[in-house]
Amino acid sequence: MASDTVLIIGGGPAGLEAARLLGDLGQKAVLVEQKSVLGGRPIDESYAALTHGFRSAEEAMNELITAAQANPSVSIRTGWEVAECSGAAGDFNVRLVKSGNGTSETVNAGSIIVATGFQHFDPGRETQMYGYYEYDDVITLGDAEKMLKEHKFVIPSKGSAPERVCFIQCVGSRDRQIGNEYCSKVCCGISSKLAIEIRQQSPSTKVFIFYIDMRMYGYWENEIYWPAQEKHHVQYVKGIITEIIRKGDRLLVRGEDTTMGRPMEVPMDVVVLAVGMEPSKGTKDVAKILGLKQNKYNFIEVPHDALDPTATSVPGIFVAGAAAGPKDLDDTMSMAGAAAMKAASTIRKLQNSNSKLQSASA
Amino acid sequence: MGLFADKYPEVPLAEKERLWAEVKADSRFPAYLYGCYECGICVASCPSARFYDFSPRKIAQAAAREDLELIYEQMNDDVWNCSQCFSCNRCPRQNSPGGLITIIREVAVKNGLKSAKHALEGYGRVIYKIMGTGTQVSPDMLQPDAFPDWGPQVRDVSAELDLWRRALPPETLHTTSTGWQVDEKTIIELYLIWHHTNVMDMIAEVDEGLFMILNDVMEEKLEEAGYEI
Repeated sequence: MASDTVLIIGGGPAGLEAARLLGDLGQKAVLVEQKSVLGGRPIDESYAALTHGFRSAEEAMNELITAAQANPSVSIRTGWEVAECSGAAGDFNVRLVKSGNGTSETVNAGSIIVATGFQHFDPGRETQMYGYYEYDDVITLGDAEKMLKEHKFVIPSKGSAPERVCFIQCVGSRDRQIGNEYCSKVCCGISSKLAIEIRQQSPSTKVFIFYIDMRMYGYWENEIYWPAQEKHHVQYVKGIITEIIRKGDRLLVRGEDTTMGRPMEVPMDVVVLAVGMEPSKGTKDVAKILGLKQNKYNFIEVPHDALDPTATSVPGIFVAGAAAGPKDLDDTMSMAGAAAMKAASTIRKLQNSNSKLQSASA
Repeated sequence: MGLFADKYPEVPLAEKERLWAEVKADSRFPAYLYGCYECGICVASCPSARFYDFSPRKIAQAAAREDLELIYEQMNDDVWNCSQCFSCNRCPRQNSPGGLITIIREVAVKNGLKSAKHALEGYGRVIYKIMGTGTQVSPDMLQPDAFPDWGPQVRDVSAELDLWRRALPPETLHTTSTGWQVDEKTIIELYLIWHHTNVMDMIAEVDEGLFMILNDVMEEKLEEAGYEI
C-alpha cells in the first residue's frame, strides 16, 4: 500500500504553496525546512515588496505561512534536514535529522516535492571587478531590499541619501567565464522594481540601470519597465560596467554607452550589483541524497520540461521553484501547484491500483 | 564643409539648463516623449538619417536622459538636419522624436541661437511668401529665375514641371491660377494670429530684415482693416 504522505523539502514560497494546496486537497503533507524560520529567500533576505503587485513581502509571505501552518493535514518541521533516502514511488523512506542535536526520524512518503530554491551569486567571486568586498557602497540586490524594507535607502559609508545610484545587470549570469551561462530571469525586473522604490523614497536621487539587454517579459514590461522609465525616470543605458574604482569619497564606474557610441566614466554614490541565481546548497545536497540528475549548472534537471515542468529523473519525486533553475514568483507558485497535483495523483494512482489488485486476489 | 562649419558658441551649463527647461515646459512635451527602447525604428524610417549624421533615436535618448551637454549640441546642430516628415512617429512607445525637434527648434528660434539664424537663412523668402500672402509657394513659381539660390537643379525641374507634378501621387496640381488667392478676411485673421502668438517676435529674433519687410506689409493691411498693432 502506498504511503499517503507527501514529503515537501523546503519552506520557501514553492514548498509552502505545495503544502497549503495538498492540505486543501486533504492529502497528508510533511514539510521539512532546515532553517528555523519559514518563508525562504523573501523572508530570509528581508525583501521589501514582491513582484508583481508590489505587496509587502513580509505580509504576503506571512499569509502563506499561516495558511500552511493552520492546515491540519500539514505537519511542518523547521530546523530539520534530509539525511538519507531509500525506496521508490509510493514507498520512499526519508531519514530526517534535527540540526544541532542529531535526533533522527524516518518519514515514509508516497511522493516527494523538492522546493529547495536558489542562492544569490557571490559577487566577490573570480573575474568580478566590482569590489563588493572592498567598497562599502557597492551592494547587492539583497542589500538594497533590506534598506528599502526599512524605508532608509542611504549611502552605506555615509548614512546620507545618495545623489546617484546605478544598477549593474547580469552579475554572475550569462557569463561563460564565470560558468553561469544562463539568464537568471528576474534581475532585470527586480532592479527596475528597486529603482522605482528608490525614486519613490528619494525623488532627488538619479537612478541608472546599465544592462546587456532588458529581459522583461509578461507583467514585468508594463507593470515595471515602462513605469520605471516613463513615470519614475529611471535611466536605462545599454552597456555593462567593466570596473568600479574609487574617486575621492565616491565611486567611478567605467563602461560603454553603446547606443550613443561612446565610452563613459560616471560618478556614483551607490552601485547595486544585480546578482543572479545559483542552486542553493540545499538544492545541491538534496539532489545528491535523492539521486536526482542535475543540469550543467547543478540545478535539478527537468527531463521533459515543456509539457511536464515538475518532473525529475526519479519517478515520484517532483521539483518546484528555483531548485529547477531561475524562476520568478509567479512561475514558482504555478509550479508548486502543478507539483502538488502530481505528488497527490502519484499516491492516489498507486493506492487505486493496489486496492484493485487486492480486490482481485480476494 | 558642413552646415555648421562656423561652430555655435559654448555657453555656461546654467544656460543649457535654462534652454532645456523651456523645451520641457512645452505643453506638447509629455506626449512626445515616453521612454526609449533604443530599438532604432525611428532611425530606420528617417530619410535624413540616410544622408546626414543624424539620429532621431539620439534626440529621444538625450531628452530622456536629460543630457544637457548633448541636448545643447543637438539644439545647435542635429535638429536642423530633420525634414519634419514624422516618419519617426512609427515608434512602438509612441515617442515623437520629430515632435521633440519641433519644440527644440522653436526654443532655438525664440532664443535667437546663432545656429537657428544660420539654418533658417535660406527660408526667408518662403516665410515672406507664406506670411505675406497667407498661402504657400505654388509649384508654378518654381522658375529658374525666381529661385537662383536653390541651385542649378531648379532649371531641370522647372523644364518638365507639369510632367513631374502629374507623376506625383498626391493632389498637388494647384497653381497661382487655381484657388491660390487668400481672401482679405482670412489674411487679416492670419496676421492677427501671428502677432498675438509671438510668431512675429520669433521672426524678429532670427531675421531682423525679414521682420521689417513683413511688418510693413502687415501694418498697412491691418490699419486699413481698423486694427492697430
